[in-house]
Amino acid sequence: MTRPRIDPRASRTEQRVASGENGRRRYDLSSRTASNPIGPPRRDPRQEWAASLIDRPGRRRYDRSQRPVARGGASNVEAARVGSAAEAVSTEPTVRIIEEPAFLVFAFVDAPGGRLSRFDRQVLGGARLLADAGGGGGAVVAIVAEEIDGLGAAGADRVMSLPTNGSASARAAALRAAIETHAPRHVLFAEDGDAADCARRLSVALGEPLFSNVEHLTARQVVRPNRGRRAELAAAPPRLMTLGEDRAKMHAGAPGEARPLEFETAPSDDQAILSVEIIPGDPARLALSETDFVVSAGNGVTDFEGFRELAALMKGTPGASRVVCDAGLMPRGAQVGASGTVLAADCYFALGISGAPQHLQGIAACEQVIAVNTDLHAAMIERAGLAIVQDAQLVMPALIKLLKERQS
Amino acid sequence: MKSVVLLSDARHPVSGRAVLSRLEAQAIGLGTALGGTLTGLHAGDCEDGVQESLGHGLSALDILSLPPEADPVSALTDFLKAQKADLILAGRRGEGGFDSGLLPYALAEALGLPILADAVALTPGEATDTLVVDQALAKGARRRVTVRLPALVTVHPLAPAPLPFAFGAMRRGTIRRHVAEAADASTDPVEERPYRARPKLMRTSSATASAENLHVGPEPEEAARLILDYLESNGIRRYG
Ligand SMILES: Cc1cc2nc3c(=O)[nH]c(=O)nc-3n(C[C@H](O)[C@H](O)[C@H](O)COP(=O)(O)OP(=O)(O)OC[C@H]3O[C@@H](n4cnc5c(N)ncnc54)[C@H](O)[C@@H]3O)c2cc1C
Repeated sequence: MTRPRIDPRASRTEQRVASGENGRRRYDLSSRTASNPIGPPRRDPRQEWAASLIDRPGRRRYDRSQRPVARGGASNVEAARVGSAAEAVSTEPTVRIIEEPAFLVFAFVDAPGGRLSRFDRQVLGGARLLADAGGGGGAVVAIVAEEIDGLGAAGADRVMSLPTNGSASARAAALRAAIETHAPRHVLFAEDGDAADCARRLSVALGEPLFSNVEHLTARQVVRPNRGRRAELAAAPPRLMTLGEDRAKMHAGAPGEARPLEFETAPSDDQAILSVEIIPGDPARLALSETDFVVSAGNGVTDFEGFRELAALMKGTPGASRVVCDAGLMPRGAQVGASGTVLAADCYFALGISGAPQHLQGIAACEQVIAVNTDLHAAMIERAGLAIVQDAQLVMPALIKLLKERQS
Repeated sequence: MKSVVLLSDARHPVSGRAVLSRLEAQAIGLGTALGGTLTGLHAGDCEDGVQESLGHGLSALDILSLPPEADPVSALTDFLKAQKADLILAGRRGEGGFDSGLLPYALAEALGLPILADAVALTPGEATDTLVVDQALAKGARRRVTVRLPALVTVHPLAPAPLPFAFGAMRRGTIRRHVAEAADASTDPVEERPYRARPKLMRTSSATASAENLHVGPEPEEAARLILDYLESNGIRRYG
């Protein structure tokens, strides 16, 4: 894919043969003396394009994202550029094992519903950064309440399970006991929901200060805003910290082993709490900014009765593109995009939406996108993780029928 | 029932003027809906902002005079012990001060009360001296907790909007001033400097437009099956 950059004049000079006195220059073009390469190696753009071609029959598609995606065949541009395509094919990354950790960093993982959220991954990434600080050797311990997949890939070396009975004070007490036995160097929480609650309970119970809402996290210092973002406080990373959202990078290196770390606590009971009941959100009535799954209609949808029924059956919050809202077919509150709502949802299902830039801005955070569109070249089809080129008016009734079958 | 709303010295995020924090105004709304007597409590030296709370539905306001940088926990504890309130409401974070959100927890510890965070709705429980608190969780879920009073509850921004402001009510409301003993705030060895805005991480999708998942012109039934399988395998929803 790359070859050394040669100075043509220098190599020409090297090929010159000593000639007679009449001074006519003669060259031996067959001699290939290895002249020293100058500068960075030369790229071959054609080969790079060929390597990023996704081998599928039909229309040609290229993956130029340079993301280390494991795709069968040679398609890794980054690896191709380095010229070690053979190494890049080994897709299974080696697990990094820390047998005897020098110190521990606790990361409190909330993961509602057993799925790691972006924020959880960021907290684990921040903990990883602190564990690798100063020569490294630290281990990240993910504190979880239930079984969660993908903790190793998110950077956890150990997993400690602290069972909950729904009471926040019992969980904080269990975590406090764990902190007293294992003496971690840092305990990192998300500045959100139950994690933020637990951090404050611990801070008061341990009598230690809490550095909350960290906006800048490095191994050497942490920074948080103060006085309504007029000032900021900087310090060396203390023991208890809560991290602001989108402030630390997720872990991208070799996965940790996520080995279970046993810890026994006697479950304590909170006398004042009489009953606890979780009420799942009703997607139909949720605000778009709060929901996790949006079913959205664009200009390609004509049957809006059917669309509303579909959104209800799929247990998603209905959304729409601007064209639909302008036409009065859906309320303005349902508009997704730059001038509507910017979603924080995990999954977005777009029916007949072209994917204008203003619309795509609104779904930038969505991890999974499904698109149904008649146009193969629509931007939404390109953005989608599952793209279906088909008439939305045919797919909607089929989906409704299948959902009703599965429910009964 | 006797409830107390804790009012902080909040600052407007743009102008820096003393205002009533929106969370505390929402707390007043929740407390008023519960019925019983509801009063406000502020420890500090700034009356301009907290006075607004009278216009949002409080009938009376107690102010414990403290120097600006003093630690209010001990003064509040002493006062609340004498008050014997059933329910103490607070915002979950301050606005414009240190904003660590620790004060309600420190107060609950000092008073020996249970604390529940992030309330969006309060209803009286079936038994006397109980309260049903709806806590906001991620993705629109709610946790409904029944707690025995007295208790301390902090309010989430998703709670109902505050009651409208009425200037006349603010003028009519009573303000009681008390002298309090100031405890010196703990000196923290943290360096303070002017704020520097730092960019947040971009929210880009991690999923690639993977060509294996492009289906051109499948049968509608097949497309429907693909969509539901995709949703279920990614753990978004379970159907049936
Ligand atoms: C300042 C500004 C701000 C804007 N803000 C927003 C915003 O916040 N949100 C927003 O959404 N837009 C916004 N827009 C508008 C945006 O540029 C687009 O016009 C709009 O998003 C297009 O909506 P659409 O995809 O539904 O419609 P179209 O662009 O008309 O696309 C319809 C799509 O449906 C497909 N289709 C047609 N028939 C079918 C069928 N039977 N089955 C399946 N597919 C079919 C077509 O192939 C096409 O791709 C903004 C524009 C401006 C200038």
